[in-house]
Amino acid sequence: MTAGRPPGGTDRFPGFDVLSQAGRWDAVTTEVVLGRLEPPPPLRFFTAAEQDTAAALFDQLLDQRQEPRIPVLSMVDTRLAAGQTDGWRYEDMPEDGAAFRLSVAGLDADAQVAAGVDFGSLPWDQQAQLVQAVQVCTGTWRDLPAARVWSLWTRYACTAFYSHPWAWSEIGFGGPAYPRGYGNLGMDRREHWEVRDAAPTTPLPDA
Amino acid sequence: MKSVRARNASAWLVPNDGTRDNAVLRRDMRRFDDDDEVDLAVVGCGAGGSVLTQRLARAGWRVVALDAGPFWDPDRDFVSDEAGSHHLYWTEPRVIAGSDPVPLGSNNSGRGVGGSMVHYAGYTPRFHPSDFEMLTRDGVGADWPIGYADLRPYYELLEHELPVAGQSWPWGDPHNYPHSPHPVGGNGEVFLRGATRLGIDVRVGPVAITSGRFGNRPHCIYRGFCLQGCKVNAKASPLVTHIPDALAHGAEVRDRCMVSRIAFDERTGLVCGVHYLRDGVEHLQRARAVAVAGYSIETPRLLLNSSGPRFPDGMCNDHDMVGRYLMVQGAPQVAGRFEQEVRAYKAPPPEVSSEAFYETDRAKPYVRGFSLQSVAPLPISYSEHVAGQGHWGAALRGYMRDYVHWSVLGALCDFLPLPDNRVTVDAQTDRHGLPVARMTYSQGDNDRLLVKAATDVLQDILRAAGASDTMTVERYAHLVGGARMAARAEQGVVDAFGRSFAIPNLWLAGGSTLPTQGSANPALTIMAMAARVADHLLGRPRPWAG
Repeated sequence: MTAGRPPGGTDRFPGFDVLSQAGRWDAVTTEVVLGRLEPPPPLRFFTAAEQDTAAALFDQLLDQRQEPRIPVLSMVDTRLAAGQTDGWRYEDMPEDGAAFRLSVAGLDADAQVAAGVDFGSLPWDQQAQLVQAVQVCTGTWRDLPAARVWSLWTRYACTAFYSHPWAWSEIGFGGPAYPRGYGNLGMDRREHWEVRDAAPTTPLPDA
Repeated sequence: MKSVRARNASAWLVPNDGTRDNAVLRRDMRRFDDDDEVDLAVVGCGAGGSVLTQRLARAGWRVVALDAGPFWDPDRDFVSDEAGSHHLYWTEPRVIAGSDPVPLGSNNSGRGVGGSMVHYAGYTPRFHPSDFEMLTRDGVGADWPIGYADLRPYYELLEHELPVAGQSWPWGDPHNYPHSPHPVGGNGEVFLRGATRLGIDVRVGPVAITSGRFGNRPHCIYRGFCLQGCKVNAKASPLVTHIPDALAHGAEVRDRCMVSRIAFDERTGLVCGVHYLRDGVEHLQRARAVAVAGYSIETPRLLLNSSGPRFPDGMCNDHDMVGRYLMVQGAPQVAGRFEQEVRAYKAPPPEVSSEAFYETDRAKPYVRGFSLQSVAPLPISYSEHVAGQGHWGAALRGYMRDYVHWSVLGALCDFLPLPDNRVTVDAQTDRHGLPVARMTYSQGDNDRLLVKAATDVLQDILRAAGASDTMTVERYAHLVGGARMAARAEQGVVDAFGRSFAIPNLWLAGGSTLPTQGSANPALTIMAMAARVADHLLGRPRPWAG
């Protein structure tokens, strides 16, 4: 088990490590959660040509600028390779896997227009501008409804990132709680192993 | 009233040794052959199908209940983890369309024995009397062919069978609950404080979570993962309550069976069983009668996929009513920021609710209303809330680091039933080769006004409680309708007892038959409706004889 934090930001919960509680989790939950700390398997869904762009997209969406990253690319790849969708698609969108391929190709096409390179080779700020352009687009982007592409990207990225115990430690979340449960309910009450927010007056970020 | 032990026998059927599933009961379950002509084949083991199966099994009927998903074992199959609970949802392909398409899957579609109640929050309010007379009272929607009084005795039964915990209920038809309310966590405290300051009536409950140990079901441990399947057996679902009882009385629950079409005898005009796929092999379970309880998407889909010479446009679809009047509730959520730590993930997400805005208020520019409830999303759900504000990258991460300071409350808005909100079948097929469901949904003007009004009230409550900032997301919750009951065949698919107008030995039991939805979570009403269908069946000669 490797305690950790995803890269970036200030540490609001100094010393808090949700994994310190893993010995009190049930065996099935433990296997599922600790499995996310294993070395990522080889990619099965994204092709060699798509990997750099997909990786850069997820780094942008979750602001992961250096290692050790939460392996969002690998986690999304595993889902897409298994066809593990949420059980629906918009009528004007292809299935999730196909939509990821098209949108990754779309980012590369945008990057080629802007700078003559693939998206993954752009500097961070230029990547961010192209991502932002999709977010603010109110119509179609690369023949896809932009808002629904945005929803697809953020849904898969957030589900992967916030399923990882490093992200739980970062946000102070107590994590799995069976069979132990929670004993101290209520405002400003913590379990003895939870850590108080060290900076509760931190200003909220600008969008 | 029967003794608690007789009525709630299932609470003593779960083991008392720290494990959560009665393996002996499952191992020794009665098993029928496909060629046994059972009295009733039930399609779907969720809120409706499970109650129906249990009632008929207790009366000695030979019943097979088929479910497309697995027979869950909480020890082995449930985890204290959001992403790891993906398998609890119906994730077979579906297409969503319309001007306001409704995402399916995690939030509203269950899979496996227990159905959506395996991962529902646990709220079990009744409908109000007005929900049954919406057309008469408000000139919108529909009147049911039954009244609240017809369902009331079943509400009372089911509230004891689950059982339900909560404070005395002042709204709709005022009533009490069998179990006392639970203590509340930070999120519930915020709701109670804000509402009280504004003079808005609120109550703790009603939740189908035992308050204290109940039989062999342990006390809730306030772990907060109600929506991921209760590992404790404290939260009631048919998996814990009505299914074990059904097995103990000789019903068969056959899991991993995808019913592909209802078998129909063109000569007699009666159904004679169900075709289903198990492990890729096609079977036909023979039955003297069939009850479909597949909820609001799969029930219409199965009827539409069961076409033939007598029903060229889908079974029971003579009047183009199958799939129509599908409803979802508008379910906006508002998060409020507090300098104190709320840590909303502790305690069950369902804690406190209010129906103070449920009924039509003539002073308002809209009809019908909404209910308010605490919701307390876990990190992944909350990240979608934050991302829904347009935050991404560093801003998303920054808001998420602030997670423990936010309280989240939600509303359920009574969106009106409209004929063009419906399920049809798409050209796309699933892995079995069956046409997938296509759900078309568009909101009306009244619906949008309700969402606005509900959002304003939630923001006011959070501000009154001391929130410094708020964030709002619009979303949907629950499904009902799609094969509604009606007084006449031209207006619906089934009659006042759930029997199809077109086929005398085909019943629908469950959420698909509801003509309106109110602002209440539908689980208890779906169960009560199924219990009423069961009483109707039991009042007839057995086996069914025309």
